[in-house]
Amino acid sequence: MSVKEPADALAAVVALRRLADQLEDAAVEQAMRAGWSWPQVAEALGITRQAVHKKHAKRLIAAGVELRRRA
Amino acid sequence: MSGAFDTYLHEVLMRGQAEARAESSATIEAHHLLLAMAAPEDTGARAILAAAGLDQAGVRAALRREFEHSLAAAGVSAAAFDLRSTPDPERRPQVGASVKLALERLASTHRKKDLRPIHVLLGVLQAEVGTVPRALALAGVDRAALAERARELL
Repeated sequence: MSVKEPADALAAVVALRRLADQLEDAAVEQAMRAGWSWPQVAEALGITRQAVHKKHAKRLIAAGVELRRRA
Repeated sequence: MSGAFDTYLHEVLMRGQAEARAESSATIEAHHLLLAMAAPEDTGARAILAAAGLDQAGVRAALRREFEHSLAAAGVSAAAFDLRSTPDPERRPQVGASVKLALERLASTHRKKDLRPIHVLLGVLQAEVGTVPRALALAGVDRAALAERARELL
């Protein structure tokens, strides 16, 4: 990383967090559409399956994604 | 005028919450309020922003540019990712640190009864660092002049 200005480095942290939040929503949705199960997605993200389910289940059901319970 | 201030703040926070939700953000931040205040249905700050050449599309473009610029500083290209996703209609992003700071600045310099709707914009514009001032600077908007015009309308 070659960020010289503290303002740019700090703003990069904020932007990377925003990118990570957006990417998590997009990547989980793409994986579930591709047939991944909750346990697989949870393990790939390094979080519990309860956490991934709580955060994403409602919107994926609303989006009409067919959800698989098991691997 | 505190009744009008509270009503307007609530409206802006609700629209800001929708912006945060659409952006997969867990919190409502100052830049979400700026988008909310530039919305066509806004009754408090939209005209001031529009006079400075900032309609909602303009604010969105400025924020997008700041996002891409800040990611680029870390060697990351936003264009490299497919970020499309279905938002959760029930997700309720909560008030974030940058909004709390904007409101605290108002509370420390004004009596509650003196606050008017336009103070919400002033609170957001008073931030010296962070996403909003960076986005405005990149868009060539003079933040101090914009705040001064808002103050003149009080």
